Amino acid sequence: MKARHTQSEIFEIRLQGHLDTSWANWFEGMAITLTEDGDTVLTGPVADQAALHGLLKKVRDLGMPLLSVCHIESGQANGSKDEA
Amino acid sequence: MSSDLLQTKLYMPRPRPSLVPRPHLIARLNQGLHRKLTLISAPAGFGKTTLVTEWIAAGERPSAWLSLDEEDSDPARFLQYLVAALRTVSLKLGQTTLAALQSPQPLPPQAILTPLLNDIAAAPEPITLVLDDYHEVADPAGRGADPVGRAVRPVDEALTFLLERLPPQLHLVITTREDPNLPLARLRVRGQLTELRAADLRFTVEETAVFLNQVMGLNLSAADIAALEARTEGWIAGLQLAAIAMQSPIAMQSPLSLPGRHAGTADFIRSFTGSHRFVLDYLVEEVLQQQPDNVQDFLLKTAVLNQLTGPLCDALTGDANGQEILESLERANLFLIPLDNERRWYRYHHLFADLLRQRLRAKNARRANARSQSAGECDIAALHIRASEWFEANGWELEAFQHAVAAHDVERAAHLIAGEGLPLYFRGEAIPVRHWLESLPETEFKARPALWVTYASVLTLTGRLHDNIEEILQAAETALQDAAPDDKTDDLLGQIAAIRAMLAVTKSQVETIITQSQRALELLHPDNAPMRTTTTWTLGYAYQVQGNRAAASRAYAETIAQSQKSGNIMTEIAATTCLGQIQEAENQLHRAAETFQHILQIVGDPPWPAACEACVGLARIHYQWNDLEAAERYGQQGLELARQLENVDTPAACGVLLARVKLAQGDAAGALATLAEVDQFVQEHDFGHWHGEIAAVRIQIHLHQGNLTAAAQLADSHDLPLSRARVQLAQGEPSAALELLETVRQQAEANDLADKRLQALALQALAHQAAGESERAMQALGEALAQAAPGGLLRLFVDECPPMTRHHSMTRHHSMTRHHSMARTGAPAAAASALLREAVKQGISPVFAQQALAALEETDVFQPQTAQPLPDPLSDRELEVLKLLTTALTGPEIARELMVSLNTMRTHTKNIYSKLGVNSRRKAVRRAAELHLL
Repeated sequence: MKARHTQSEIFEIRLQGHLDTSWANWFEGMAITLTEDGDTVLTGPVADQAALHGLLKKVRDLGMPLLSVCHIESGQANGSKDEA
Repeated sequence: MSSDLLQTKLYMPRPRPSLVPRPHLIARLNQGLHRKLTLISAPAGFGKTTLVTEWIAAGERPSAWLSLDEEDSDPARFLQYLVAALRTVSLKLGQTTLAALQSPQPLPPQAILTPLLNDIAAAPEPITLVLDDYHEVADPAGRGADPVGRAVRPVDEALTFLLERLPPQLHLVITTREDPNLPLARLRVRGQLTELRAADLRFTVEETAVFLNQVMGLNLSAADIAALEARTEGWIAGLQLAAIAMQSPIAMQSPLSLPGRHAGTADFIRSFTGSHRFVLDYLVEEVLQQQPDNVQDFLLKTAVLNQLTGPLCDALTGDANGQEILESLERANLFLIPLDNERRWYRYHHLFADLLRQRLRAKNARRANARSQSAGECDIAALHIRASEWFEANGWELEAFQHAVAAHDVERAAHLIAGEGLPLYFRGEAIPVRHWLESLPETEFKARPALWVTYASVLTLTGRLHDNIEEILQAAETALQDAAPDDKTDDLLGQIAAIRAMLAVTKSQVETIITQSQRALELLHPDNAPMRTTTTWTLGYAYQVQGNRAAASRAYAETIAQSQKSGNIMTEIAATTCLGQIQEAENQLHRAAETFQHILQIVGDPPWPAACEACVGLARIHYQWNDLEAAERYGQQGLELARQLENVDTPAACGVLLARVKLAQGDAAGALATLAEVDQFVQEHDFGHWHGEIAAVRIQIHLHQGNLTAAAQLADSHDLPLSRARVQLAQGEPSAALELLETVRQQAEANDLADKRLQALALQALAHQAAGESERAMQALGEALAQAAPGGLLRLFVDECPPMTRHHSMTRHHSMTRHHSMARTGAPAAAASALLREAVKQGISPVFAQQALAALEETDVFQPQTAQPLPDPLSDRELEVLKLLTTALTGPEIARELMVSLNTMRTHTKNIYSKLGVNSRRKAVRRAAELHLL
C-alpha cells in the first residue's frame, strides 16, 4: 500500500449494461470495453483516491449499476502531468 | 444567490396531476412521522422527489423544502438556507439566527442551531422539513471528490447535532443517492428512522402497468409490460423514457411534434429488451432522435445550465422561443422540473441533464476530431460564457462568476469577482471565490498577479490568517516587477500595502500600520472604495494606538461615512467599535455605551464575532458604573465571541476585565486564576503589548491582599507610573507618589489623554490627603469628581482605595486588620470616604460624590471576605468548604454537596488548613470563628 497515495494507478471498473464508446470522454479518458455478457469495463489510470471516488460518483449519478472496482497495477511514472 | 433564485431552492415541486398512486409507500411515510428521520436513499431516477412531493401534497402538515446543491457544502450557506426554508412555514422560526448567519466570519453551527431548535420546540404545530438531493453535499474544501479518511463533513456534523436534539415538532426527510454520514445505526436501533430504498421504490409489475397504460396512455399487453419491467428492473426513469419513446408523437404538442413516428411499439420493445446497452443511454438516444432538430439543439445547448428561464435559454440558442419550448417540454414530461409557480424558472432532472451534457461533449468531440484541435471544448465554453454574460447583465453576479469558472475563463471570472463597486468576496461570497482560487494552477497566478492579491484579501477577510499571507503578497510583488507601471499596477501595489496594514493591526505594529496604510492610500485607485475605506480604518487604528485620539476620531468618522455609502458592514463595525473606545477613553461613558449598543443592534442576536470588542467595551463601562453583574455578563459574552476569531487580542481584554470584576467581588484568588489564563493566552499568541495591563491588575490584587512586597517588585519591573504611585501610597510615602503623579498628570494633559488624567487626579487627591494637605486634596478630588460625574465613573473612586486601607472598614473588623493597615498606610486609610463626605458637605459635585460614597460603602458591606485578615485569603470556594466543615457532614458528604470529587475536596481542605495555619478540621473551625471568617 505504501506508494498508493502518490502514484497514478490503473483501475478496472465494471458496470452493468453496454455504454457507448463516446462516454470515454465523460469518464476522463478511461478505455471502454464492452463484454459479451452485457457489461462495460472502464480501464485506465486514476491519479489518486480522490479521483477514483470522483469517477464512482459519476457512475452513481448516472444510476449505472456498479459491479466491481479492481486495482490492476501501479502506473508508470507519468507523473509530470499529475503534479501540475 | 439573488433572492428569487434563492426562492427556487425552497420551492417544493408540485406533484404532476397524473401520477401512479403509491398508497403502500405513502402509508409507510405517514407511519414514520412520529420518528425523527425518514431517509429515502436510492440511485437517480427512482422517483424519490416525486414520492415526497405527492406525500406532502396529500398530507396536512406544514412543510419546508430545501433542494441542496454543491454550494451548500459550505456549512454557513447550508444553515442559511435551512433557516430560510423553515421560515417559509413560520416567520417565528429562526428570527434570531438570521442576523448571525450574515456574519462574514462563520459561527460554529451549534451557536446557530441552538436558538433555532428552541424556536422549533415552541412551534404550535408539527412541521416536516425535506432536504432534497442531500448527496450534493460534499467536502467543502475538496469539492466533489474527497480523499478517503477525511474528517466528518461540517454539514453532516451540523445535521447530526440537529438530529440529536430534534424536538418532536420537527420531522426530517432526506432524499439522497448515497447514505449520508449521519448516525443512522443509532437512529435505527432506537426506532427513530424510517428507510425507503431502491427495492421499495422500484415500480412493481402492477405499477408499471398503471404507469405505461394509464398515465402515459399506451396500450401495451401484459407480456410487453413484463418485458419492460424486467429490462428496466422497475427503474422509473427508464420506464418513463421508454414510454416517451413509444408515445405517439401526435400526443406531443408543437414544437415537439415530429414528422416520423416510431417504427412500432413491438419493434421498440424487442430491440430494447434484446439490447445489452445501458438502459438510460439507449433510451435517451431514442427520445432525442424523436425530437425535431431545433428541440435537440435546444436541449443540448441549455444542458449547461443549472436553472433555466426563457430569456436565458434564448441567449444560449440565439433563438427567441425559449419560453415556448420550455413549456412544451414540461407538458411532454421531458424531465423538466418547474422551480416556481409562474413557469419562469425550471431545471432539468439531474439525471437527464447529465445525459444531455454527455451528449453535448461527445458531439463536440466528434466535431473537433473532424476539424482538428479542440473546437468542441470551445463550444461548451462559449455556451458558459453566454450564460455568464446573461447572468451578469441581469445582476446575478455569483451565477455569472460560476459560469465564467465553468468556461475556464480566468480573465472573466476575475473581472466578475472585482464586481461593480464592492467585490464579490465583500458581499458574503468569499468562500466560492476562495475555492475557485485554490483550484487554479500556479501558472494562472503568475500570469495574473492580481489573483494573488485577491487571494490574500479573501484569506484576510475570511480570517484565515494562519495561511501564509505574507508569502502570497511577496509572490504578487515579484510578479508585478515586470508589469507596466500604470494605474492598475499601482492599485495592486496599493492593495498589497493595505493587506499588510491589516495584518499589522492584528499584531498592533503601529509603525507598520502607518507606513503601509499611507503607501496604500497613495497608490490605491480613487475608485477602489472598499480598499480605501479599509485603509482609512487601519490608519485610524494606528493613530488610536499612538494616543492621537483626535486624528483617530476623524479617520473613523470618515470610515463610517464611506462604509455606509458602499454598504460595507464590516468596516462600519470596525470603525464604530474604535470610535466607541475613544469616547470611552474621553470618559464619555454614556455616549460610548450608546455606540457599542449600536454595534450590537447592527449585528443582531446571536451577535457576529466581530461584535466582541463592543461587548468588552460595554463590560468595562458597566464595571465603571459599578454594575458588576452586567460587566461580568458582557465580559463573558465578549470572550465567547472573541474565541471564534483567530488572531485577535480581545480575549486578553475580556480576561483582564473579568479579573477586575472578580477582585471587585472580593475573589482575589479567582482574579489571579483568570490573569494566569490571560498570561498564557498572551504568551501563546505573542500579544506582548498586554503585559503592562496584566501587571497593573496584579499589583492591585497584591495591594488588595496587603502583599506590599510583591506589589512593589512588580511595579518596579514595569513602566507603570500609576501603579507605582499606588504602591508608594500603600507604603506610606505620599510625597514620592505625589511627585510621580504630577508628572503623569502633566503628560496626560499634554497628550490630551482624559482617562489617564482622571486616574492621576483621583490618586493625587488621596496622596495629598495622606500628606496632610487637605485643601489640595479637596481641590484634586473636586476636579476628579467634575471629570468623572458626567460619565458616571464610580468605580474609579472605589478601586483607588484597597479594602484594608478603608477607614470605616477598620471600625467593623478585627483589630488585626487595624494593625495591618494602620501600620502601613497611615493617613490615606481614611482618605476616600472622608474626602467624599467632605465633598458632599461642601457641595462639590454633591450628587455624584454621594453615589461614589454609597458605592464605596456598599462594596464593603457585601464583601465580608475582602477584610480577611490573612496574608493569603481564602477563595470563594474555600470559604464554601470551610462553612461545610463547621457542620456535621463527613468529607465524602461535603464532596457530594459541592458536586466535586473527594480528591478535589481534600485539596481545598488542605489549602484551607495551610492558609489558616492549622492541621485539623476542629482547629480550622475554631480559627475561622476567631477570624470572623464565617
